[in-house]
Amino acid sequence: MSASLKPTGLPLQLAEPAPPRRWLPPVLMALISFLPLSALAEHSLYMSATLSQDFTIGRKVTSDSGLYVSHDRETARHLGFHHPRLDKGDFDPRDPDVLYIGALNGVLGTRDGGQSWEILTSWNMTEGKDVKVDPHQPDRVFAALPDGIALSPDQGRTWQYSDNGIRRKYTQTLAPDRHRRDHLLAGTELGIFRTTDGGLVWTEVLTTTATVNHIVQSPHDPDLFLAATQENGAWLSPDAGLTWTQVHPHEMGNSFHTASFHPHKADVLTLAGWGYGLRLSTDLGQTWNQPGGLPHDNIWSHAMDPDYPDRLYASLYRDTVYVSDDFGVTWEPFIFPGATIWGYIFVPRN
Amino acid sequence: MRTFKPANSMKASFLRLLPLLLFPLLPASASSDFAQRHEAYLDRAHLLLQEVVDRVDPTDPEKGGRGQILASLVLETHLDWASERLLRDLEEPRGDMFWMIPMTSIAYHGRDKLSDEAMAALRNAWKTYMPQRGDTENHWAMYYTTLYLMSQFWPDLPASEWYTGKSSAENLEEAREYLIYWMNLTTSIGQGEYDCTHYIGEYLMPMFQLAAWAEDPEMRIRGKMMIDYLLADFAIDSLDGLYVGAHARSDDKAVLEPHHVLSTMFAWLFFDNTPRSRTSWSLYVAANASYYQVPEVLYRIATDRDGPYLSRELKRTRWRWRHADEITSRVYKTTYVHPDYAVGSDQGGLLQPIQQHSWDLTWAVDDPRGVHNTIFSLNPHYSDLEMQMYFTEFAHFMPEAVTRQGKPTYTSPETFLGGSPYEQIFQHENVLIALYAIPEGATHEHVNGFFSKDLKRFEEHPSGWIFAQGGNTYIAYHPLAPYEWKPLEDGGKRLYSPHRTNGTLLQPASASDFASWEAFKEAVTALPLEVSTSGNPEVRFTTLAGDVLHFAYGDVPLVNGSPVGYASWPLFESPYLKAAENSRKLTLRHGQLERTLDFENLEITDRIHERPR
Repeated sequence: MSASLKPTGLPLQLAEPAPPRRWLPPVLMALISFLPLSALAEHSLYMSATLSQDFTIGRKVTSDSGLYVSHDRETARHLGFHHPRLDKGDFDPRDPDVLYIGALNGVLGTRDGGQSWEILTSWNMTEGKDVKVDPHQPDRVFAALPDGIALSPDQGRTWQYSDNGIRRKYTQTLAPDRHRRDHLLAGTELGIFRTTDGGLVWTEVLTTTATVNHIVQSPHDPDLFLAATQENGAWLSPDAGLTWTQVHPHEMGNSFHTASFHPHKADVLTLAGWGYGLRLSTDLGQTWNQPGGLPHDNIWSHAMDPDYPDRLYASLYRDTVYVSDDFGVTWEPFIFPGATIWGYIFVPRN
Repeated sequence: MRTFKPANSMKASFLRLLPLLLFPLLPASASSDFAQRHEAYLDRAHLLLQEVVDRVDPTDPEKGGRGQILASLVLETHLDWASERLLRDLEEPRGDMFWMIPMTSIAYHGRDKLSDEAMAALRNAWKTYMPQRGDTENHWAMYYTTLYLMSQFWPDLPASEWYTGKSSAENLEEAREYLIYWMNLTTSIGQGEYDCTHYIGEYLMPMFQLAAWAEDPEMRIRGKMMIDYLLADFAIDSLDGLYVGAHARSDDKAVLEPHHVLSTMFAWLFFDNTPRSRTSWSLYVAANASYYQVPEVLYRIATDRDGPYLSRELKRTRWRWRHADEITSRVYKTTYVHPDYAVGSDQGGLLQPIQQHSWDLTWAVDDPRGVHNTIFSLNPHYSDLEMQMYFTEFAHFMPEAVTRQGKPTYTSPETFLGGSPYEQIFQHENVLIALYAIPEGATHEHVNGFFSKDLKRFEEHPSGWIFAQGGNTYIAYHPLAPYEWKPLEDGGKRLYSPHRTNGTLLQPASASDFASWEAFKEAVTALPLEVSTSGNPEVRFTTLAGDVLHFAYGDVPLVNGSPVGYASWPLFESPYLKAAENSRKLTLRHGQLERTLDFENLEITDRIHERPR
């Protein structure tokens, strides 16, 4: 792990955009090969970014949005097409060159590390919000869609809806259980649903009054799941999603967008969202504190970097992405002024 | 989206087109008139193209829009400039389906005229640029029509040559499937983006492209039938070329000035019954004008009415992703059209996001340009709920963000645009009742009424009625709660009524039906009227025609004691258009002329009846 790396103190630099379909051209590969090994993180960081503020369909944009990758946290390169509305995604654990991303155009996929892309879904599936690979059977890919959950048994080549038991179908987030085969959680418009048979039947395990925006599994304890909701606060499940306890109350007018566990500290939880800013807990949600240092409290998304201790990223509304290397005590501008980051994927480097 | 299945399945289709062969059966003068009108229509289309071409500087390939490239290709002038300009335009493709539409037209009109270099650049763009499919019905109509046609244009390319990562054949099939799905849905349960004052163009453009260039005769005839369908849908709700009544989408200026919309441009182009308006995207229709002939029956429906008529139409809401158990719900439209005025409405509620226009009265004027010949009321409303119902985004940023995305008045208390979940509307013939039950804490707790600068008469009567005259139309407008007046920047005034239990009762009449202004006022004030605002609003009113209306907020309205039959609401019902729900068959009728558009069997059948209806 590149734990000795410190932030440079300078904003992360955008590399010149690569021509479409030519990901990491030989020149860049050669450049990277001359960098000290310590400069390369163990994970590549992929970010779904909308760089053009106030994007409207059909409007001329001046900078490429879409998927960016950073191998060293010092440069980031645009990958593939300009796509103003990508959301969350995942990678195939057998082959990190296989990526899936939820997008306005459906589910996008690449099988060659971003050299070529395909709209995997057809006209009947649109506005993918999240895509997750089944960790036990990586050919199986789940997509969270505005009208339900779709399952592909063959790496995105064919799709079918797989959401029996969910009445209000809108699905924002998916969380496959890496410990239990065929177990998944889904965050929908009106609650969290759980399947134990690979998506054939879903059962409600938590009722909410609005959308469940994010569910994540603890990297330390596979029984622990944390959920961030629009208007019901944050919830923790100690038993793989079967039961839930509210660990952060709802605050009127605010909305949690993202949740995460600390990659290396089992009791540390983080939440972020609109109006809440960032909320941190070091005791599994019993108490929370809100660090200062950020310009405002409307956070679009956040993530913790597994390769850097106590490193947090926070994408602020109509602002930039900020980075903190001391667990939120101090912050610096990191990348993408005025951007929105919809999703972060940390993909192990080969 | 999850496939929404209309009741009937698509049968195997075949073509049997009898377009104009029946015209010899009509008097020679009618046939001659038709031919002359068609020539005049082509002349108008040519005029649009010529005006655009005239603005081209053929010495400067750095300047010029895509419309100018297209017009140059169609009129076969400045061809070298067109190729050079296209090359520069393609250096940075942007615009999504609004890029796909012009590029498809440029490709087809330019296939024998553009340089090899320009055509190669065009080909490369469809490989390296990924347009967004968008999130509205009009986006998808444009996206899939153009993807269909361009996949046909380059038919045998592998997946690696397309931004979709799919082969030409796969693109073509996906696009064909969607277009047929959309046509089936529209002709079964109505359009989602119905009766749009501007977005009508976003449907006509792709359908003109499909009608012109689809090699599959089924898809080509589908394009022509959908043009007929869309124009008939417009014509039936038009008054001298102005789109009247409820619209799924309009805009701030259009709701006040009905002429200032793209649909008026199409009325001019196809029916020549109103002065020209905003050119905008009509150019892409004009470029393909020669592929379409306005059916005589449609022309007459648009321009020649025997007298007042009532039209009822069924439409559907935009896809509802959240806050609804069904992905779409029924929209019940009513439009009453009199030679002097029209009253049109939907049932109220949040049927569409942001740009809904739920009801109005529009009066006829000799020259509608710059005239605010309309009156209506609404509860201005915006909410996270509305945004999340129709969009798949996070909650809190959207209302404010919408105001920066071309809809500046969305959150304004002064807006005259948008639907409200607290508005319910009932229209019987030419009488309309809009009721408001606005809960405490709603984003805006008041009602706005639009009173035009162009009213000839205006009088607040002690009875509570507001009497006004627009054109040759007398208007009786009864607010259900106290109000005050706010001036409007562009003239006229806003009725501002800060009461949560509220409503509007509207009884118009032609001035020709009364001996005098005073006689009209006397007749209206003598009509039985009971208003209750103690709980939810409620109105009992006997109309000038003698019908007893009873409408209580939340209840089914009653006409002479009988409930309105929403369950049997027709897809189209009027003297001129008829279609049953799920029939996929629309019959246009005017006098002796009849055309049936049968989307089940892909047939256009023209008949001439012995006698007028």
